Amino acid sequence: METLSYLAIGFEQALTPQALLFCLLGVSLGTFIGVLPGIGSLTTIALCLPLTFHLEPLPGLIMLAGIFYGAQYGSSTASILLNVPGSAPAAITCLDGYPMSQQGRAGIALFITTIASFIGGSFAILLLVFFAPILADFAISFSAADYFSIMILALTAASTLSVGSPLKGLTMVVLGLLLGLVGTDINSGQFRFTFGIPALADGINLVALAMGLFGVAEILNNLSNGNVPLASREDISLKNMLPSKQDWKAFRNACLRGSVIGSFIGMLPGTGPTIATFMAYAGEKKLSDTPEKFGKGAIEGISAPEAANNASVQAAFIPTLTLGVPGDAIMAVMLGGLLVHGITPGPQLVTTDAALFWGVVASFWIGNALLLVLNLPMIGLWVKLLSIPYRILFPSVLFLICIGVYSVNNSSVDVLLTLGFGLLGFFLNRFGYPSAPLLLGFVLGPLIEENFRRALVLSGSNLATFITRPISLVFLLMTLALLSFTFWRGSIRHLNNPSGVNP
Amino acid sequence: MKQAVILIGTLTISLLLTACGEQSQTAVESTADYPSKPIRVIIPFGPGGLADVTLRLAGEPLGEGLGQRLVIENRPGAGGVAATTNILNSEADGYTLIVLTNGTTIAETLFDKLPYQITEDLVPVSSVTWFDLVLLVHPDAGVESLEALLAEKGNDLKIATINPGSTQNLTAELFNTRSGIDATIIPYRTTPDVLGALLRQEVDLVIDAYTALKGAIDSGQARPVAVTGESRNPAMPDVPTVTEAGIEDFVVTGWNALYAKAGTPPEILRQLNDSVARVVNTQDIQNRFRELGVEARATSAEQMQERLLDDIEKWRQVIETAGIDTL
Repeated sequence: METLSYLAIGFEQALTPQALLFCLLGVSLGTFIGVLPGIGSLTTIALCLPLTFHLEPLPGLIMLAGIFYGAQYGSSTASILLNVPGSAPAAITCLDGYPMSQQGRAGIALFITTIASFIGGSFAILLLVFFAPILADFAISFSAADYFSIMILALTAASTLSVGSPLKGLTMVVLGLLLGLVGTDINSGQFRFTFGIPALADGINLVALAMGLFGVAEILNNLSNGNVPLASREDISLKNMLPSKQDWKAFRNACLRGSVIGSFIGMLPGTGPTIATFMAYAGEKKLSDTPEKFGKGAIEGISAPEAANNASVQAAFIPTLTLGVPGDAIMAVMLGGLLVHGITPGPQLVTTDAALFWGVVASFWIGNALLLVLNLPMIGLWVKLLSIPYRILFPSVLFLICIGVYSVNNSSVDVLLTLGFGLLGFFLNRFGYPSAPLLLGFVLGPLIEENFRRALVLSGSNLATFITRPISLVFLLMTLALLSFTFWRGSIRHLNNPSGVNP
Repeated sequence: MKQAVILIGTLTISLLLTACGEQSQTAVESTADYPSKPIRVIIPFGPGGLADVTLRLAGEPLGEGLGQRLVIENRPGAGGVAATTNILNSEADGYTLIVLTNGTTIAETLFDKLPYQITEDLVPVSSVTWFDLVLLVHPDAGVESLEALLAEKGNDLKIATINPGSTQNLTAELFNTRSGIDATIIPYRTTPDVLGALLRQEVDLVIDAYTALKGAIDSGQARPVAVTGESRNPAMPDVPTVTEAGIEDFVVTGWNALYAKAGTPPEILRQLNDSVARVVNTQDIQNRFRELGVEARATSAEQMQERLLDDIEKWRQVIETAGIDTL
């Protein structure tokens, strides 16, 4: 009950005209930059940070947070319509979102992802409101060995991300792991595979990789195919946008599972939404009775990752606000904004700055509701994008990608890398090598290595640490279960289908 | 075909635009008008960090005093190489400045093949910010002082810092050398990760900037046992310096300073130094910096350069003694 009275104070703070205005400003800006490929919330928040120095701490933080979670709403739009993700986490939404759009179901896909975003976000906010202190303590108790085991589970699940040949999928995971090695080794400080290029010292920029492999590659692909229509033009009336009963059924459980996976990954510092969306997708495909439908426009394939995406960014506020341990670079920037006002993030924030804490939390509700109202009517408008002729649309998208990638680090090398990865992605697609496993390998590789080595240093080089720590053990057992399940299912299929043709 | 032409056209335009951003040419003008347009300040870190926040705070009154806006530009990464290369590609006209830090003096030794010489290619304007690092333990660890911790753990001590090559990490190396113990230094990716390691009690000691961990200290998540500065930190008068705690010849003070490209007219440098000194001494900046747990202090150009050279030498010795491979 105490929580509810605090929440009431929060709403009082967040419903002032000023707070509402900045909330609306933040989420609108967020949606907008989310739709634009490449330009991410980090860049936008960094640009808006100095602006907040002149504001009261609360509206400033509300606006920055609004940009952050608002961007997740928009980021799947371009994935679905153009097969060009708005941000790295949304890359996975291309797999089933774009086929839906090709089938003339773009309106439904956008409707579903908006609702999934809202549910995912709301789920994590509920956790934040009612269980934040417990969850934060739980999340912070994850040590290097535990992270290692979770990432191993994620990597194992990644084997399901490919549609075609499993061997090709595996090849791409390994290529991703190798690309992840580029940069400074965190344990020794030594450069690896940087080839004397200073811009590579901090590793390959995730945005450059994702935008190249998915964005530029798709544009090249379209150009080489000549003028095939993007997707069938649709008449977007409310009726065409509304999912069928069957769609809702597929959506419901996927969305819930996505919210849970997203919240869990999101509250672990240092993981990020890309891992959340990829794991949610892999999980859905594993659990599905009809995994063959994935990659061809499965509702589950867009609902789960989108719910996970928004759940993870909202859940990332759990350790950030309750322990003062920001989960990623974006959170750190937001907290930097508080420093200017003389507010140092830490567990005392909940008690000494209760109005601020609960004001921000309440603004999440308001922001998500605004996003829902903002995004649903936009769907018709977005789908109209498809009627823009190629010769105007694609150069514009390419131009936006270049600007977006450049803006992350103000680095022109990143732009060149994007174009290079675009070419790579184009050829890989041509030969049937999927890009999604590569991206996941790239994100997970450094985390696995770093945490493996750190776990060994912490345990005095004792490998047993991975099975003596309970959390780690649980995840290793889950990995084992997943592998056995896959083999079991594989053999059942084989029995039913002795010709050996993969359905 | 048509699409290919448009594609190549767009690519060219994007690349040209990037190139323009990289090397904005500025006409040389008389120094008497300086500054007649906004001044770029390049920060070799991402936004939201200590250097970024303090420079943005001081940048505003500084711009007002000079009659032109200061535009803060973040060029993070690679030990400041991207940032430094950027200023060296601009004109030596005082319209591009860079923030150097104690980290710069480490990079000088750590990186074998820097495409520039920091001591020759850049000239000092003034220091802006000075800060301590702080040594922290977990409140449940049951140790009240650094001496007690060393006596209890000895060579089993585990220290968490951010990445190798950082001031924090090398300070831990220096700590090992000066205290004569052989502690394991465990690198983490970010300061929050380091704090997490302490909260889990997987390490015994954490070394990081006071500002970054002020929240953790104030809330009792972490207990400070020593500060690395020459004298005690006014925010924590009860916490001794490392030297007072019995480890001799151990002082680490971090700083952020403004530098310009060598060849910048001396009158412009003087004007900038005056402006920085005036702003840094205002009550407002003094107070706001103190709230952040850092000290706002300007120096003469000569003092700053002396400090830079001293620190280069100091970290060179630490790197050599610790046997760290240069890159």
